[in-house]
Amino acid sequence: MHEASLMRGLMARIDEAAAAQHARRVVGATVWLGALSHFSPQHFAEHFAQASAGTLAEGARLEVTLSEDIGHANAGDVLLESIEVAE
Amino acid sequence: MAVKTIKVDYLARVEGEGAFTVEVRNGQVRRAELRIFEPPRFFEAFLRGRAYSEAPDITARICGICPVAYQMSAVHAMEAAFGVTVDGPLRALRRLLYCGEWIESHVLHIYMLHAPDFLGYQGAVDMARDHGDVVRRGLRLKKAGNQIMELLGGREIHPINVRVRGFYRTPRKRELLALTDELNWARDAALETLRWVSGFDFPDRARDYEFVALRHADEYPFNEGRIVSSRGLDIPAAEYERHFEEIHVAHSTALHSRKVAGGSYLVGPLARYNLNFDLLSPLARQAAQEAGLGSKVTNPYRSIQVRAVEVIQACDEALRLIGEYEEPERPFVPVEPRAALGCAATEAPRGMIYHRYRIEADGTIAEAKIVPPTSQNQPSIEQDLKEYVGGWLDLPDAELRHRCEQTIRNYDPCISCSVHFLRLDIDRG
Repeated sequence: MHEASLMRGLMARIDEAAAAQHARRVVGATVWLGALSHFSPQHFAEHFAQASAGTLAEGARLEVTLSEDIGHANAGDVLLESIEVAE
Repeated sequence: MAVKTIKVDYLARVEGEGAFTVEVRNGQVRRAELRIFEPPRFFEAFLRGRAYSEAPDITARICGICPVAYQMSAVHAMEAAFGVTVDGPLRALRRLLYCGEWIESHVLHIYMLHAPDFLGYQGAVDMARDHGDVVRRGLRLKKAGNQIMELLGGREIHPINVRVRGFYRTPRKRELLALTDELNWARDAALETLRWVSGFDFPDRARDYEFVALRHADEYPFNEGRIVSSRGLDIPAAEYERHFEEIHVAHSTALHSRKVAGGSYLVGPLARYNLNFDLLSPLARQAAQEAGLGSKVTNPYRSIQVRAVEVIQACDEALRLIGEYEEPERPFVPVEPRAALGCAATEAPRGMIYHRYRIEADGTIAEAKIVPPTSQNQPSIEQDLKEYVGGWLDLPDAELRHRCEQTIRNYDPCISCSVHFLRLDIDRG
């Protein structure tokens, strides 16, 4: 549920950003995973696929970077860096 | 189709899932309630109408930290219903899978959640700035557990290789032996971990808990044993519901458990340790004694030490199981479903889990009941808070909240990771 809670907020933000651009689809997302976020890229991708089903972001290509820096100020977080939208 | 890149820079964070309300009148705590906001997830309902063979994969999804205990409890309950016993190398592999889960879960809790409380940090990220090597040791130790999960379970989280009657695929001996070097390191790191946490400053508290855990004739318990208590209970899992019940309380979405005869009880590392000290491996037992722990520990804050002892136990047991492993002829044993009722209890890292299933003749699940550790411990958590908070009422709210969070984390409840965001409401009258 920890992950589900994170994904809920992230999907809401993607929807919001896509709507602001009047986008038809979200075709890509770039995400940074903190070293202490307890996500692996594969684990994140599975949650994303589930959370994005039926949304503008369904099927979006993911670009995921896993940080190894445990001293980073956001080491425990997940950062949605950017999305690619189709107009 | 024109594609445009939008910079977002949104930081996803876990929202708080718990609140603690304290009502104080005339300097006395009159009411103390821990509320969990997490909505019910209806797993028992999801299971109804599904094939018995789907239960391990569905129940594994209940928790990302202790999926093995959920899926294995389901597996044991189904096997009890069908009258099948899994032994030999398949049984050993199941114990090994539990070792992996205990290592990764306990280490996560010790290093990322509980140690920062004792050392005065907001969390592991803050702690890493001053104790980078310690946090790196924790991450590597956790990974040693995850590697066992990945090999036996098919992946680190929510394993997919477990089935009723055994596994879909069993590992080759050489695959297990490849884990040995890292597990030898992990066992040493676990001993270091116990020495490290034993240097913390522990509040001087003790409670007369009724401890409840599994006890096996000759093994520290993972997935088999009778349910015993520190007050003389000794029953098979099939009799669990004659002695324990779940109730709704108005202030929480989580069910509370209590003894049918009345009163709370405690499951988890403290309970296992107190009821099974003599079954720890010689190395784990000696390490516990060197750390100043006797065979009985009733101070809940010392649960972090007991978790560290159990990490030593899990590493030691994993190495023994790998050394003795012989590849089985088949990855599972045959069984035919039948109309029956099956119950089982196993030991998740944070405490005993109970499952009961009623199966129809074609193997369809007609009814499911799952009792997680946190619902069993929640009354004890509330009682601890109610008892302790009375002595902290003069503290500023921020310090009081910190003490409450630390106390909640003694039990490693399923909301543990979110109680850094505990909402504290104090009505001082």
